Amino acid sequence: MKRLFLLLLFLLPPCQFAGAHHVLGRPTYSLSEDSNTPPSMQVETQIGAYFVSYMAFPAFPKPNEPGRVSVYATRLDDGAPFQGEITFSVRDDSWLDGWFASRKEVLGVQRPNDNTHRQGFIFKNEGDYIITAEFEDGGEPYIIDFPLRIGEPVAVGPIGVAVGVITVILVGVNLVQRKRLPRAGKQGRRAAS
Amino acid sequence: MIYCSVDGALMMTHPGLPEFWGICILIMMILTVVWAMTAPMTAMKTAMHGAGALTLARLPVVGNGVRLLAANRWVPLVLKLAMVSLFLLVIAAGLFGTPFPERNLATVLTWNLWWGGLIFSIFFLGSAWCAICPWDALAQWLVRRRLWRRARPNNSLNLRVPRWLRGVWPALWLLVGLTWLELGMGITLDPHATALVALLIVVLATASLAVFRRKAFCRYFCPVGRTVGSYSQLAMVELRPIDASVCARCKTLDCYHGNQEIEPCPTGLVMGSLKQNNYCTSCGNCTQSCPHANIAWRLRPPSIEAVRGARPQTDEAWFMVALLALTALHGLTMMPFWEAWMRALARAIGDSGGLLWSFSLGLAACLISVGGLYALLAAATHRLTGGSQPFRRYLTSFAFVALPLAFAYHMAHNLNHLVRESAGVGGVLRNPLGVGALPLGMAEKQIRHMNMLIYQDVVFALQAGLLVLGFLIAVRIVRHRGASLLEAGAGSQGWRLFPMLLFAAGISGFNLWLLMQPMVMRM
Repeated sequence: MKRLFLLLLFLLPPCQFAGAHHVLGRPTYSLSEDSNTPPSMQVETQIGAYFVSYMAFPAFPKPNEPGRVSVYATRLDDGAPFQGEITFSVRDDSWLDGWFASRKEVLGVQRPNDNTHRQGFIFKNEGDYIITAEFEDGGEPYIIDFPLRIGEPVAVGPIGVAVGVITVILVGVNLVQRKRLPRAGKQGRRAAS
Repeated sequence: MIYCSVDGALMMTHPGLPEFWGICILIMMILTVVWAMTAPMTAMKTAMHGAGALTLARLPVVGNGVRLLAANRWVPLVLKLAMVSLFLLVIAAGLFGTPFPERNLATVLTWNLWWGGLIFSIFFLGSAWCAICPWDALAQWLVRRRLWRRARPNNSLNLRVPRWLRGVWPALWLLVGLTWLELGMGITLDPHATALVALLIVVLATASLAVFRRKAFCRYFCPVGRTVGSYSQLAMVELRPIDASVCARCKTLDCYHGNQEIEPCPTGLVMGSLKQNNYCTSCGNCTQSCPHANIAWRLRPPSIEAVRGARPQTDEAWFMVALLALTALHGLTMMPFWEAWMRALARAIGDSGGLLWSFSLGLAACLISVGGLYALLAAATHRLTGGSQPFRRYLTSFAFVALPLAFAYHMAHNLNHLVRESAGVGGVLRNPLGVGALPLGMAEKQIRHMNMLIYQDVVFALQAGLLVLGFLIAVRIVRHRGASLLEAGAGSQGWRLFPMLLFAAGISGFNLWLLMQPMVMRM
């Protein structure tokens, strides 16, 4: 009975269960259409009159590896899926590139297929990117930004920043102390004499 | 295990407390409130030194371990080294490990085990965590540049903390910020963000130790330390003088000043006049520096300090009330209906994206409603009892009512995380970075849930017991503190304390309702 129950669980349809209570992006474990191994990164958000589900396959794409983003937008009032065109574009979100030389590049314009808008991509370089999905409905523009990481994250950054800040503090305090301590010592000796 | 559908999304939830327990607790609460309003009250006496306390070092089996801990410097050092190693592993796992939270040591250890278990440890061990805290240990080693023994000069500017930063307001705001990151930004499911926050706190602790006198971070800024400190006022143990008269005659105050070898008290406490646990970090400096060997760990009735001994300042009082609000918020956000609420709020205010504005509003509403309700009912009590004392004294004195309510619910809530979600810890310890690990499947989640550490009925009984204990302590606090605020001869007028009893019962009832709901699994 226990095994049957577990088997039934395995056979549950690809479900959109939420892993927790928060509202940001989270890896989900639903099967993709192409393969059952790569996990997807799913983000749910709402904008204007629409609730938007966004998925990236694979969840953590590597350079020169084909990937795809899927957008499923439904109206909040009646749940009707959006049937118009969505324009997908990308821009660099890395620290310096993102701030000073952010160029936007259109990936493609997609119509829905089975109520879902899909856009394929291949990135040559590692980095942090922002994928933008734009559409119009009722004369109002809808612009949704999703972060996408290509390749391994630069993990030395935070450690480097932490070590740097601590070093600056310790060296600064040390320099001040080198001046303060002899002065305090002199004052102490003067007071004693 | 319950599968719960919210807006078409399937969630896995833990079952809530059964109705039977709910009804039993409700009946108990009603009877207790009736008793509290009708039974004669005795005027509060000053806390007697060591009343009901038992020196741990004199106990047959535990005593040896306590003596070893108190007398040797290498035992805490070894524990600190172990904690720092684990902490560095958490940072490495968070930054370099798998992004799947349930497969990464950073998220599993930090949010399921440590944050869940820490609250329980406070009841049994007081602020023992602070003694081996890796944030403080790293800061101490970096600034003092010594593993143990006193550093002279201590390489710190030793500045006084500015007046506007003294008090626990900074810790309160940091705690609110941490809650925002935890529940709003969802860092509990993000190993990278978890590691970043851990690193940030190391930087803050180091900066504070390098600039300010003693350990200002532990005393004023650390949100975890102040939470531990507040709850430790309900702990079973305390670090106190064995003989108060020895402290009264002491001229050197080594506990406060330290000696040639031992650092002074990190939070500036004088043991002879210590009556509250909240600023003691259990570091043991005083036990080692006292020339009379007069400081010892003692076992005590858990509620004695909150009921009789402690005198909170305004900031400490509001910290306790905020703790109550934030624990309730933790419970609320793990209800299946929370996301639907947030979406409805987002629609109303035009929020989009991560719905952080909506969450922030929810957080603010929770803080304001609990704080406002407390202030309102304290004002009603002030009016009903004749107002012989200033209102501010009512506000600070009765704030202790919030403490057992928050602590009991916090433990009951965390019990779910600990018992139901900790089954995969072994796997994470074997593969801390989750190299090559696949995401947790639905079936594995189900298996984990079924392999609970203790039986489900025992979990329910413990949760019910905790809520009852918290409520009973809260009622004791209302009666004892109320007796001192009532005018003389008003010993039989317990009904005048009805607003505060209503506060305790209302919050306990709400917490009970939260516990009876299915709770969304964290990971």
